[in-house]
This record gives sequence, structure tokens and C-alpha cells, in this order.
Amino acid sequence: MENILQISHLNKSYNGIPALKNVNLSVRAGEIHGLVGANGSGKTTLMNILFGQPVIHETGGYQGEIAFAGRRIEFKNCSQAISCGIGMVHQEFALIPDLTVAENIKLGREHTLAFTDRLLGRQFSYIDNRHDRASSLQALRKLGIELDPDIKIMDLSINLKQFVEIAREIDRTDLRLLILDEPTAVLSQDNSWMLLEILREMSGRGIGILFISHRLEEIQAVCDRVSVLRDGELVARYEKNHIHINQLARDMIGHSVIKAAAGKRKIEARPLITFRKFSVAMPGEEIKNLDLNVYEGEIIGLTSLPGHGKLALGYGMMGLYPVAGEVWFNNERIVRMDAMDNIVKGIYALPDDRQGLGILADQSLENNIVFTANQAKNMFSRSSLFPFLSMLDHRRTVPHVEKMVQDFDIKCASFKQKVRELSGGNQQKVCIARALTAEPRLLFVAEPTRGVDISAREKILSMLIEINRTRNMTIVFASSELDELQRVCDRIAVMVQGKIFKILSPDSPEVDFALALSGETGMDDDV
Amino acid sequence: MPWRCQGKQGWTMMFNNLIKLPQLIISVFLLVLIAVAWLLQMDMATLFNESLVKLVMNGVLVMSLIPMLNAGVGLNFGLPVGIIGGLLGMCLAVNFRMTGFYGFCMALLFSLAICAALGFIYGLILNRVKGREEIAGTFIGFSFIPFMNFFWTLVPFQNREMLYPIGGQGLRPKISLENYFNHILDNFCVIRLGDLEIPAGLLAFFALLGLFLYWYFHTKVGRAIIATGENEAFSKLSGINISRTRLTAVIISTVIAGVGICVYTQSYGFIQLYDEPLSMAFPAISAILIGGSTGKRAFVFEAVLGTYLLQSIYLLTVPVANQLLIPELTEILRSFITYGIILYALLVRETRRDCR
Repeated sequence: MENILQISHLNKSYNGIPALKNVNLSVRAGEIHGLVGANGSGKTTLMNILFGQPVIHETGGYQGEIAFAGRRIEFKNCSQAISCGIGMVHQEFALIPDLTVAENIKLGREHTLAFTDRLLGRQFSYIDNRHDRASSLQALRKLGIELDPDIKIMDLSINLKQFVEIAREIDRTDLRLLILDEPTAVLSQDNSWMLLEILREMSGRGIGILFISHRLEEIQAVCDRVSVLRDGELVARYEKNHIHINQLARDMIGHSVIKAAAGKRKIEARPLITFRKFSVAMPGEEIKNLDLNVYEGEIIGLTSLPGHGKLALGYGMMGLYPVAGEVWFNNERIVRMDAMDNIVKGIYALPDDRQGLGILADQSLENNIVFTANQAKNMFSRSSLFPFLSMLDHRRTVPHVEKMVQDFDIKCASFKQKVRELSGGNQQKVCIARALTAEPRLLFVAEPTRGVDISAREKILSMLIEINRTRNMTIVFASSELDELQRVCDRIAVMVQGKIFKILSPDSPEVDFALALSGETGMDDDV
Repeated sequence: MPWRCQGKQGWTMMFNNLIKLPQLIISVFLLVLIAVAWLLQMDMATLFNESLVKLVMNGVLVMSLIPMLNAGVGLNFGLPVGIIGGLLGMCLAVNFRMTGFYGFCMALLFSLAICAALGFIYGLILNRVKGREEIAGTFIGFSFIPFMNFFWTLVPFQNREMLYPIGGQGLRPKISLENYFNHILDNFCVIRLGDLEIPAGLLAFFALLGLFLYWYFHTKVGRAIIATGENEAFSKLSGINISRTRLTAVIISTVIAGVGICVYTQSYGFIQLYDEPLSMAFPAISAILIGGSTGKRAFVFEAVLGTYLLQSIYLLTVPVANQLLIPELTEILRSFITYGIILYALLVRETRRDCR
């Protein structure tokens, strides 16, 4: 098979800090080439170069040679890359929130009415919305998704956005190379496997696929070859049948990881928080009439298929969406969902949408980590006559931030560095550090390991276990990663259509979870 | 420890961030003007003295934009609201025949109270038009001015120096401050070094205001304002009351605008009423954009730098154009620079949004 993409001696640096060092990589037509690496290893930079993102050009371009289908290329913007037949599915979505699903999928490739085509030319032709809707519906069906193509993107939940992003690329007919940057990070396992099937089918048609994922089992299952990036260098390459997960993991981080796991125990304390007929009107993730007791000191897992409400609980408690029903915290009824009141009472929620809600991208690590604690609980303030006019006490913040950076192993040049410049996994660590700094009694976490590499993931999970055990912090852990929940949680609640369907013990067999997730009643062994 | 910042890299990054295209163009233009003025053998010392006065005269109004920018409310095209508050404050002081420092301080106090009230209402309106504050602000300014024109003609002030000489009803368009607090700050503690006259009192007032803003944005409320401007959803999750934070920022902006017009007027010598406040928002906005603000976040330094560059150009174009070209060209150049820079900033902001 011919090489559709040939990268040789690629170098790239940002402000003198090397991001890629002498990378050589090739993708054959009809091959699925896996690319793995820890956070900050240069994967996203490589993708940005290949797809001609302007950020590369603005920061001084790159050195080295890239050949696409035998021709040397140097893209200055994304549209050049698209016209060559390169498609990309972004980790942070490249969708237009104000347009509908169909409009996003067909953007730039709209069906037009033949009559106006001839009359006005292709550019000014009238768009045939009916056709567009039909073909985007078809692309979505291929992914196994039933979605009204007239919904606006901004009203979709994060996993549905990912599907739309993928559908847009699947729908293209001129595609020769498809780049996927962690497409499965926000998908549930079933959906991921469906996507992999589609990728396999696409590669059968001669499309070269460059597939980036943190989920090594997917890489192992689907890739023909896999390359490992570490600190901007290609450290290893394996052919199919020689791909071993442990080996990949070791190559990625340079040493082996120890998986985090919590000791098993049975919590029979009083309930810390009780939900009665609790509803949250979060678009695409509604909770309807949920009843749940969370016991003091436990880690309870929340899982569901996408769109069934596992993410909405924390947001509801922070008053981000309208809620209804009763909530009793610490034997006291919470009448009004006010974020400030609830944080002061000791409740805190970490968002799943890290980029959108989790960080102040243009501010320093230090400001991010102490922000909530300072605002809500006046921690780290210098004493002042009026608390609202108090300044930050850097003599107290600096040691705290230094400790957090060390404990969480946050990779940064300085704690004055802007959070925008950190890699995704390190941003997530900053988020968690911020939540811990506010010292809540009850912490809602949503998808904390999404888009995070394995070593950072284990770090985050073991941190959650540790804070639960040492500080007696109760944790509600919403995730679609069943494996993580089973390792960390004391109980796992499975949600279906916004209600608790079943509460299972983490030791329950996989099949029970699968049944519960799809809303089937198996044997009755509630915990 | 590995994460300590390396000093040198920090400096180059700061240099890259601070020097932007509009500043470069304006600086080159300014240098050319200075060279021409020098060749025409103009009095450079006087021009320099005047440039310092102009800096503070306009600089306070420019600084008044900072709180709203940082809160994410955008460029304050509704600056006339604060200006009118300040004008009313000064009119009150003149009406009660308060003179000298006492008069000026009372004018500031009146302005403070009036602007706080106006800012509160203005802020409530802006909270209802979230996302379109700039255009809404423009029209709030536009509609507030005719309303106030009505007010100026009917207000029952008694001081004859303020009223129309004939008929004795309604305020004059220009009220002289000659007998009240004309140049009160300009002439306070002037340091003379040969030909140079440094208005130390005026500069000190300006520096104090700058320090106040710097301090304010390091306090808890100030940091909440900045966070709200940067990421509203984040702030909401951290328990910050978004509406109240934005309201605070708008009130502070309006109050500083009121102080700003008082400082401007004592330099200018006349209280300018009626349609005059209408055109004052644009040079101020232009100045902060030249200073390097992108219209998303602003620093005191940017306000000072931008005002100095823009006002020095205004100052120099007049004599240079008078000697070299037809005098009318000055006004054309001014408008071109003022509006062109605003347009440029809007363009830059749009392209940045595209990059995301």
C-alpha cells in the first residue's frame, strides 16, 4: 500500500520550548494508525500541524517535511487541508453552536437546488434543506444515533456534540485522511465500539486514519500500527499483533503505572444528603424525580448511558439549571439552590466540561486553585476591615499551591503560568485542586478522567480515594467509565431516563451493569 | 524547584504581548509628527507640558472604561451617562457658588452620588441586554442626551453666570469656570525645571486613581469581576452572583466617568452641556484600544499608554497641520484616527473569535 501521509524530521517549538522533536511518521492508505502519548506529549500539536491550524503558523511555523499523497504540503489554514481531503474530528469541538445539527454536518458541502445552481452559480445557490436534513440523518444513523437534525448544537449534551462532529466527517465523500483526536473520550463504551466499527469500515474503503486515543484497549483492537509519542519524540512503533497494552503504557510514561483501587467496605452511616423527587432541567441530560440517599463518607458512583442524567446532579446542586423536588443536606432542607450558599455549607461540584466551566484559562495556576475557596469561604484572604475588599495573602497561597502542584504532579513551568498553556490532563488536575482547596464535605465530580492519560488518570483516581479516606469527604462520582467506578466506589447507582434504576455493588458482574444500563431488570440483588 | 519562572523568558513574552500593531503605527506616526514639529522649530517644551495636562485631562475618562471591560460588559459606549452625572455635579457646585478646592471637591462629591445612582440604573439595563451591551450602551447614551437637553433648559438653577444672558431661563451651552475652579488641579504643585512645567498635583491625582484601580482589582470583589468577565459560567459555579458583580463594575465605571469629566472640565475651563457629551465616548474608547486592550480585559498601564499616544497626536496635529497644510485637515485626521482604531479593534476581536 502507498503512503498517503509521510512526515519526516518534523520539529516544532512554542516560544523556544520544544513540542515535537524530529518526528518521522507515515500513514498508509487504508490503514488505521494509532497515536498514543501522555498529556503534553505533543499529539495535539502534531494534529494541528497536519490540519493547518492557524495557531501553528502564528507561533512561527515548523521545521521538517510533510508529504500528502506524494506531494509536499505546507498548510497555512484549515480550508487548504480540507480541500486536499483531510478531515479532522476535534477533541475540543469545532462546531458552530448557533447552527442546527444538519447545518453543521453539511457545512461547506450543502445540497443545492440545481435550478439556482445554474442561475446564480454554486456560491449563491439556494440551499436544499430537505436534502441536507436527510443526508445528515443518514450519517447520524450510521453512528447509531437518533437525533433530530433541527436541534441547535448549543442545546446538545457534550457526547452528542461528539457524534455530530464525527458524523460531519463520515458524511464527506472526498475524504482521504481522517484525523481523530480522542473521539471516544466523551463516549460511553458501547458507543465507542460502534465508532470503531465505522472506522474499520472506512479504512476498508482506502481512507487513511490517524487515531489518537487514551483508551489503549481500543488502540489494540482497531489499529494496524501504533506509534508512541513521549515528550515530543517518537519512542516506539508496533505492528498489529505486537501491540500490548502494558508495553504501550510503559512507553508512554517511561515507567509502569500502578492502578488505583480502593479497599472494599460497607458504609452504614447516616445519609449526608437525600434527594426526594429531585428533577434537574438540564437540556439533553434531564433528571426526573430522582430518589437517592448518599451516606456520609462513601464514594458513590453514578453511571448511565449518555443523555440519561448522570451529569446533571452536580450542576443542579450549583443552581446552574432549574430544579424541583426536595433535597436534605445534613438533616437540613435546602430550599433554594444557590451556589454560594451550598459551597459555604460544604457542597461542591466539578464540571465535566473542563474548558467551558472548569478553568479560568487566561489566569495563573495560583489564581485558579485558590479562586473558589477565596471567594466563597474567604480563605487565603489578608485580614481586612471589609472582607469583600481583602487582598490575596500570597504567603499562604504560595505554599498551598506548591503543595498541590507537587501532590498532583501538575506539569507547569511556574505556578504563575496561564492555565490555557497547560495540557488537558494538567488542567483537570488544576480543577480538582481547586475543588479540594474549598474543602467541601460533599463533592460531585463529573467525568474527571475524560481526555486524561493513564498515569494522570490513576493519579486522579487515587487522589479521590485518598481525600475520601483521610478527610472523610463524601464523593458522588459520575462517570461513563465503568471500570473506574468499580475500582473506586462503594456503591454504583445506574441511572436510566433520569431516575435511579438500580444500585449495584462494584463487585457485581459486568452483565448486571450492562442489563441495568439498558434498563432491563435482571436478578434482584439490590445493595 | 522546576516550576519556578525563568526571568528572561517572562520578559520576551511580556514584550510580545505589550507591543501590538496599532501601537506601532501610532508610535511611528507620533515620532514623525515630533520630528516635523522640531523641524518647524516649534516650542517643544511647551508642547511637552501640554501633553502631560492632556494626558490626565482625558486619562481619567479612559480609566473609567476599565471596570466594565474587566467584568465582560464590554467597551462602555454609554460613557455619556457617567459624563452627564459629572456635569450635573459640577452644575450644582457652581449653582451654590462653591469656589476653589472646596468647590472642586464638592463637585466631585455631588458627581459621585449622582453617578452612583445613574450607574445603578444603567447597570440594571445592561444586565437585561447581556451580550449586546455595547450597542445597547450606545443607544442609552444617545437617548439620554436629548432627555437631559430638556432638563438643562428647565432646571431652576439660580446662579446668573450659568443661565442664558437673555431671558434668564435655562443653562448656557458653555458655563465658564473662571470664577470657580478653573485649572484648579492643573496649577496645583507645579514643578518648574527651566522651560518644563510638570503638573505634579494633577499627575499625583491621576496616579492615585490608577493605584485605586490596581488595588481594587486585587481585592476579592475585583478578582470576582475579572473572573466573571473571563468565564461567566465558571464564576457562577464558584458561587459568584453574576448580576451583582456586573452591576458593581458598571457603577464604578460610571462614578469614575463622573470624576473624569470633572477633571476634564477644570482643565478645559468650561462646563459643556447639551450635545457635547455625545462625542466623548469615542476618543476614550479609541485610547484604551491603542493602549493594547483587546476589548476583553484592560489594565491601567494600557489606559495610560493609549491616552498619552492618542492625545499627543491630537496635540501635535493642530500646529503641524496649521503650518504645513490647510487647517481643516486636523479635524479630519483626528476623526480618522479615532474611528479607525475602534474599527481595527473590532476586526481584531472578530478574527480572534474565528481562531477558536
